[in-house]
Amino acid sequence: MTATTLTNITNEQRQANREYQRRQHRRKFVEKILVTLLTLVIVVVFVFPIFYWARLSITPYKYVFTIPPRFDFPATTTAWWNVVMGQKSYSDVMLEQVGGNTGVGGAGTSGYDIRPRIVNSVSIAGLSTLVVMIVATFTAYALSRFDMRFKQNIVFFVLSTRFMPGVAVVLPLYLMYREIGLYDTRFGLILAHVVINLPIAVLLLKSFFDDVPRDLDDAAMVDGCTRFGAFWRIIVRYVAPGLAAAAVLCFIFSWNEFLFSLYLTRTPELQTVPVTIRTYDASAGTTEWGLMSAAGTAAVIPVFIFVLFVQRYLIRGLTLGAVRG
Amino acid sequence: MANRIAAQSELSLKGNQKRRHFWSSENPVFWLAPAVVFLFLYSIFPLLFNLYRSLYEFSSSKKVWVFVELRNWIKLFTDDSRFINALGITLQYVAIALVVELLLGLLIALLLDSKPWASGLMQTLIILPMVTAPAVAGLMFRLLEHSEFGVLSILAYSTGILIKDEPLMGGTGKYALVSVLIVDIWQWTPFFILIILAGLKGMPLEVLEAAEVDGANWFQRLTRIKIPLLFGVITVAILFRLVDLFKVFDYIAIMTAGGPALRSESVSYYSFVNTFAQVKWGYGATIGVVIMAMAWLSAWVYQKVFHLKW
Repeated sequence: MTATTLTNITNEQRQANREYQRRQHRRKFVEKILVTLLTLVIVVVFVFPIFYWARLSITPYKYVFTIPPRFDFPATTTAWWNVVMGQKSYSDVMLEQVGGNTGVGGAGTSGYDIRPRIVNSVSIAGLSTLVVMIVATFTAYALSRFDMRFKQNIVFFVLSTRFMPGVAVVLPLYLMYREIGLYDTRFGLILAHVVINLPIAVLLLKSFFDDVPRDLDDAAMVDGCTRFGAFWRIIVRYVAPGLAAAAVLCFIFSWNEFLFSLYLTRTPELQTVPVTIRTYDASAGTTEWGLMSAAGTAAVIPVFIFVLFVQRYLIRGLTLGAVRG
Repeated sequence: MANRIAAQSELSLKGNQKRRHFWSSENPVFWLAPAVVFLFLYSIFPLLFNLYRSLYEFSSSKKVWVFVELRNWIKLFTDDSRFINALGITLQYVAIALVVELLLGLLIALLLDSKPWASGLMQTLIILPMVTAPAVAGLMFRLLEHSEFGVLSILAYSTGILIKDEPLMGGTGKYALVSVLIVDIWQWTPFFILIILAGLKGMPLEVLEAAEVDGANWFQRLTRIKIPLLFGVITVAILFRLVDLFKVFDYIAIMTAGGPALRSESVSYYSFVNTFAQVKWGYGATIGVVIMAMAWLSAWVYQKVFHLKW
């Protein structure tokens, strides 16, 4: 009797319990719906500017500059894309879009073709990333493996170059480049992008090397590898995914970089995509929103695709390995 | 047996000698040298150059550097209200952006962490502003904040937040700083969101469950457990935002060019105006030294205070 009273639950109690659980369950469900809706609203707010910009690039002006603003697609046009992709001339498109030339914009009538600038940007970002990765891999390995004096100082030195304000650096670099003939050359800009991305790559890769146990190096060296052999044959292969992620991030940062690209180049052929888009802006009175949005969308879409692959390393990259997302 | 031990000890001795040899891959100098050379180009060289040239001024008519002693420095600290204005605006910008981004980031991260449906997809979408080129983001918001057709402006007019005579961009420049801040907040709140989410994911579940069992409500769990445990990631996030906010340039160059009436001119932008628009290279270098000192000192102090380790 004494043992059974404790577990002896009446039917009413059982039913009440079930009712309670059902209510709890319903409450959780409602909570989840509310949370999802609220998050959705926030996400929409964050994505909206990009959506609006992309919409602008395929919409005729008469559906863009309306009061109240519209967000639908009453008509689409490929005109802006045709111009920036070099399929049609600027004046033809202006004629069919607004019934006349709106005035020649900053880039001139034939200067709106973004394709050569994309090629230029890709070459600058690609080559600078390559150099960064080669230099940074060695440095990161050394900072992760060797016990040396001043190691913390070196790490802080690398970190502090990440904190350098660009405007304070661009003037000395600009004057030096003019002296030694690197101003307005692709090589000079690549060099600048290398030093901008180097601290990021070094400290990010150091965090990846830190994840690989030192025993692995020791084992390789006991088996007859030199230090370099252990690094090159064994450890680098272990951090390959990290290397790939760091490379993609460096490429994105170089692709998006604005200040140095603006002030270390002058000839249009050497300008990168973000700098070029700015020249579509009103130097002759009108701002070519359609062309800017088409070129801008073309500039961000590859980055959006790239970032899908390195999503989970993005925070780690931006904090130089301090926070592992 | 004894022989083998002797041979081994000899071997290890040899190994040690080999290790101490200068021309070996055990020498960290070879591993570090290339990067250090590159980084000198980006930090020590500009610092020394700016220090040196701050004692000179470039005469654009004669195309020569003229030695001006400490006049650039004296002017900067005693007789340049524009610099003081820029400094004040930068501090305002940093403070507002940091507080708003941190609070918004914390709230949205908590929302995303409470497991809504499709939270993975939403997280991916929230990353997008962060990887948009800042120059493009500036242009996007210039359209959204356009005084006539901009969606944000129209929204503000219709809700009575703003009046047409005092638009977000233009006018007397009352809201010029706000117009730039909006872009910064749009682009970099996701940084806080993701970093705090990373912190929340690494949180020990047992502790939270124990607190719940002990009857701690949602708010208590947040303020007593979650936020203290997030302290580490938040300090890192603030460090990076702090130094980046101090050097704000892209948005201002694209959107307001410092105006109207210098009401959105940051120190970075002022330094740029001196060096590239007015060709006062010596004075630009002087401001450059100040900005570098500010960036380095703040980073160093911050790192010391919060014991950040890399």
